[in-house]
Amino acid sequence: MGTESEENPADSIDSFQPSPEEIEHWMQKAFDVAKEALKNGEVPVGCLMVYNNEVLGRGRNEVNETKNATRHAEMVALDQVLQWCQQENRDSKGVFKETVLYVTVEPCIMCAGALRLLHIPLVVYGCGNERFGGCGSVLNVPADQLPRTGAPFKFISGFKSEEAVELLKSFYKQENPNAPKPKTRKD
Amino acid sequence: MEPRCKRRKASECETLPWDVSPVLSDEQSQDTVLLEAYAAPIINKKETSRLVKELASVYPLPGVQHIKRVRACKDSGSLHPLEVIVCLVRDVQPTNDSTELSISTLLPSKRVDSRGLGEPFLVKIPAHPPLTRPQFEQASKHWPTSFHEDKRVTVALKGQLFTADQKVKMHKFMMAAVTAAKAGRLLGLDAVGAVIVDPQSERILATGHDCRGGTNPLHHAVMVCIDLVAQGQGGGAYTFNRYPNCRFSALTSSPHQSSGVISPSVDLDQAEQSCVPYICTGYDLYVTREPCVMCAMALVHSRISRVFYGATSEDGALGTKYKIHVQKDLNHHFEVAEMKPLPAETIRLLSS
Ligand SMILES: [Zn+2]
Ligand SMILES: [Zn+2]
Repeated sequence: MGTESEENPADSIDSFQPSPEEIEHWMQKAFDVAKEALKNGEVPVGCLMVYNNEVLGRGRNEVNETKNATRHAEMVALDQVLQWCQQENRDSKGVFKETVLYVTVEPCIMCAGALRLLHIPLVVYGCGNERFGGCGSVLNVPADQLPRTGAPFKFISGFKSEEAVELLKSFYKQENPNAPKPKTRKD
Repeated sequence: MEPRCKRRKASECETLPWDVSPVLSDEQSQDTVLLEAYAAPIINKKETSRLVKELASVYPLPGVQHIKRVRACKDSGSLHPLEVIVCLVRDVQPTNDSTELSISTLLPSKRVDSRGLGEPFLVKIPAHPPLTRPQFEQASKHWPTSFHEDKRVTVALKGQLFTADQKVKMHKFMMAAVTAAKAGRLLGLDAVGAVIVDPQSERILATGHDCRGGTNPLHHAVMVCIDLVAQGQGGGAYTFNRYPNCRFSALTSSPHQSSGVISPSVDLDQAEQSCVPYICTGYDLYVTREPCVMCAMALVHSRISRVFYGATSEDGALGTKYKIHVQKDLNHHFEVAEMKPLPAETIRLLSS
């Protein structure tokens, strides 16, 4: 990094390092969303977008109801943040730069691209996703050299991954081919 | 890849200003990678089959099964018409500098009877099986290999995958994407346009342009089109009413369609089997600019069949930075072709 300034992206990322308690708290809530999804026969993936200790987005997969295969939990939650910004008359760019994503399963390649494009600084996820994972499993979109695709972001993986895998496994029993293939990661 | 136009007749180029070249995987487009091996002349031809058998048991050449063990000697005036691969250099212990390379240092005498073999020499052989005809021709210059030709790729590389008639249609669809891009630009948006087409009916199902200037920074032209197709199927997550050039055609009931609506729990395989339109299965996308990584993966999720793009882009994910369409581990792959020249030039060509 170059000279220090208030806009140094490294500084802003570091200030979004949540405490273990915060991670525990928000991930638990993300799991609640995933369990809700499972009850409704949806892929058990849940996520939260947390800005300034406030939940601005709460997403689960909406592929089936919209017939749009891109309506992953993360995309749904990102839209909610955008809506909030519109209602509150806030600049979404500034808000996204200080928003952490908590999600039970590793974001796919598409969602990782979207998170980059919106300058999300940090992602905390549960289990890996061998089938589509864009944060280390199939590709590493947040770290790759993509100067025209937003900004790189950090991610913390393997949080409560066993629980996330269990959720997906119980969904697998219904043999849905659209579900992400789980992978336990402890790193 | 060199422009195909040069090889085509000039008259054809004038009427069809597109050069369609496939975006192949790295494995298909890379130059021949070479591997060092020891070969030896077969002095006594009658020993050939025995030697090959014994060599194969001692040095089975794992990972290079495409290599033909024996080759006819290039030099026709040679006393030894055949040469055989003894082993890969990586298969043997590095020898002492003082000891000369000889057949006895390479072969354990108990398991290979080296009668009939001459003294070994170093050769370079192709490390990977050739996947395309150009790769096969390149590889064969070093050492003969087997080749399972994918005829479709050969034809595509010759620029002959599409008939003139098909190219006229492709031109029409790409121009529809260009028109959408221009409409977007008139609204002060990024000039990127796209259409999704059902190649069976030759109908445009969705037309869209980049809408990031609006409320959603993720509304790239491809994402817009994917949602418009969903809207045409009775779903969708957005409205693009503000943009008259972002539109869809509602599905007219087809003979295959029973109720016109798929139940929310229907899964992809069932949908595919029952011929009910499901997301972008079987459809083609024409887009003026190479999609980014988000859009490219959205196309995988949407089960697109083929993608044609105009200009490449710096962070493009269908050839430039990634090749998402042939990415290993992903459960859906699709074909991608670049349509050159760039849309801007085309507009000029066609309007002049
Ligand atoms: Zn995703
Ligand atoms: Zn894009």
